[in-house]
Amino acid sequence: MTSAVGYLSCLAAIDLSGLLAYNTLIVAAGTAAVGCAAGVVGSLSVLRKRALVGDAAAHVTLVGVATAFALTGRRDLPTLLAGGFAAALAGLLVLVVMRRYTRTRDDAATAIVLSVGFGGGIALVAGMTARGIPGSAGLENFLLGHTAALTARDAGVLAGVSLATVVVVMLFLKEATLVAFDRSFAAAAGWPVAVVDYLLVVLVAVMVVVGLPAAGAVLVTALVVIPPVAARQWTDRLGTMLVLAGVIGLVSAVTGVAISAVVPRLATGPVIVLVAAAIFAISVLFTRWRSPREAA
Amino acid sequence: MLLMDQKMNFGPSKRAVQLSLVLGATVAALASHPGWAAEPRTGMPRVVVTTTIVADLVRQVAGDEVETDCLMGPGVDPHSFKATPRDADRLARADLVVASGLQLEGKLAALLERLGRRKRVVSVAESIPKDRLIEVGDGLYDPHVWFDPTLWAMCVEAVVEPLGQIVPAGRPRFEAAAAQYRGRLKLLDDALRERVAAIPERRRVLVTSHDAFRYFGRAYAIDVVGIQGMSTESEAGLNDINRLVDLVVSRGVPAVFVETSVADRNVTALREGALAKGHGVRLGGRLYSDALGGPQSGAETLEEALRANVDVVVGGLAGVAVRESDGGTGSGR
Ligand SMILES: [Zn+2]
Repeated sequence: MTSAVGYLSCLAAIDLSGLLAYNTLIVAAGTAAVGCAAGVVGSLSVLRKRALVGDAAAHVTLVGVATAFALTGRRDLPTLLAGGFAAALAGLLVLVVMRRYTRTRDDAATAIVLSVGFGGGIALVAGMTARGIPGSAGLENFLLGHTAALTARDAGVLAGVSLATVVVVMLFLKEATLVAFDRSFAAAAGWPVAVVDYLLVVLVAVMVVVGLPAAGAVLVTALVVIPPVAARQWTDRLGTMLVLAGVIGLVSAVTGVAISAVVPRLATGPVIVLVAAAIFAISVLFTRWRSPREAA
Repeated sequence: MLLMDQKMNFGPSKRAVQLSLVLGATVAALASHPGWAAEPRTGMPRVVVTTTIVADLVRQVAGDEVETDCLMGPGVDPHSFKATPRDADRLARADLVVASGLQLEGKLAALLERLGRRKRVVSVAESIPKDRLIEVGDGLYDPHVWFDPTLWAMCVEAVVEPLGQIVPAGRPRFEAAAAQYRGRLKLLDDALRERVAAIPERRRVLVTSHDAFRYFGRAYAIDVVGIQGMSTESEAGLNDINRLVDLVVSRGVPAVFVETSVADRNVTALREGALAKGHGVRLGGRLYSDALGGPQSGAETLEEALRANVDVVVGGLAGVAVRESDGGTGSGR
């Protein structure tokens, strides 16, 4: 209670000048791009009932990050991201293969890939730290993200990859739609269902790995899931849903960045996800109030 | 409905978490075959210490009369250090355990407390009177006391008696060495104060990537600003970074400092923000924070590390080129 009062008195001293500061604009640009693209890519994987694929990919990156550091001794972003991406891709391929050729259920396969990748990563980091290898300590923090510390170069990379991802989704929209909604029809009609599936998996891996420095593992997972689910409340059409999810992701990012620029001591990444969650809650409440029978 | 029939199932299941923990521990145990830290038993009493800084303290007092086994090597962050099964084994076999204390070894606290019921565990920083410590929260104190040599001198006493217990014959030598070391720390304090005086008062701002230098700042009248919170675990907010950019620009701070054991992303963001306002900020070199340097770094002892730190700070803030070697790892002499 006293801390709440202290917090409110803190709010009274708010200074709006930070809204247009250089770092605010950079972080807003980077996270807006990620939020938007994650919403678009996430819509497809949520429709394929693979919401947790992103979560698995995000956690598996740790083993790749640790391996990349062990092999190169370097801790810069491109090196770690390359390792993380390779691991995420490998993990997701294992996932797809397991689903296709074994009798493992989807959620079990996801849990296995996630825990083996994450556990292996933690073990590697612990092993290196135990041997006193300089710079190995805290590598697992890579999964936490540093949203507020994005640089212009980071933002550029994020924007570029996000744009490329959205373009790829648009190019394959027709195929993806068919596979997402009616898999057996798509297969019967001779569509390359497997190729579309793999492509989707690669897109999720790219999105998650690129989003890691901007948001961290849990938060990027949330950005791949929450905006699509929120968008789904408003529409039954895939095209509309993609656009809406992208917009919700973008608005969440920009709003979250603005809040953390104004209020002291608020980590930026979590605020973005809270905004997205709030939009989801509003979407559910509003659409149910509008048509209660349909919702039931 | 297409989406809502599927339960939103966030995160890994409990089973998955357990599985990964078991797996992690197993692989870690397999991966950590005896490395540099596990020397053969020499028959000497074995003192297991947590950080290199505490190892230095024990060596200053006991010299080579005990075997000092350090859990965290150079470049290891004690705030996030977790003990492996082999570390627990080393602790279990110790004749004496010396930690820094005041929650510096946050993730070891439970293990050390359990150990304390079976053997002597000394937390040196906790022997400093509370009124000399910097309180950072409800009953929580900043653990980085070694940056004020006068405070560290108070910690010397804490190891003399326990060391005398495990090497009774060495007690007089330990007491003499401790008295001598305290004297050297006092001289070091005077020397550092003199060096810091070279920095213009307005520019006495030390910006680092985590708040390890509060005691250093208090002792030598330098404003210390960390981007992250007390530990390396917390994430910075945008507001914090924006305000730091303003501070650095308005006080004309010429350099910021990155620590040896903490990532430097926040510092990079800060420099970029300042540059956008037309104020260039150099990287003032690395400061030793929670770990001393490795062999041949010229900062293997706390005295050398503190001298090296002050050289880096003065070089960065006063604009005086102190020495040619780069990165703050060179010798301070
Ligand atoms: Zn520290």
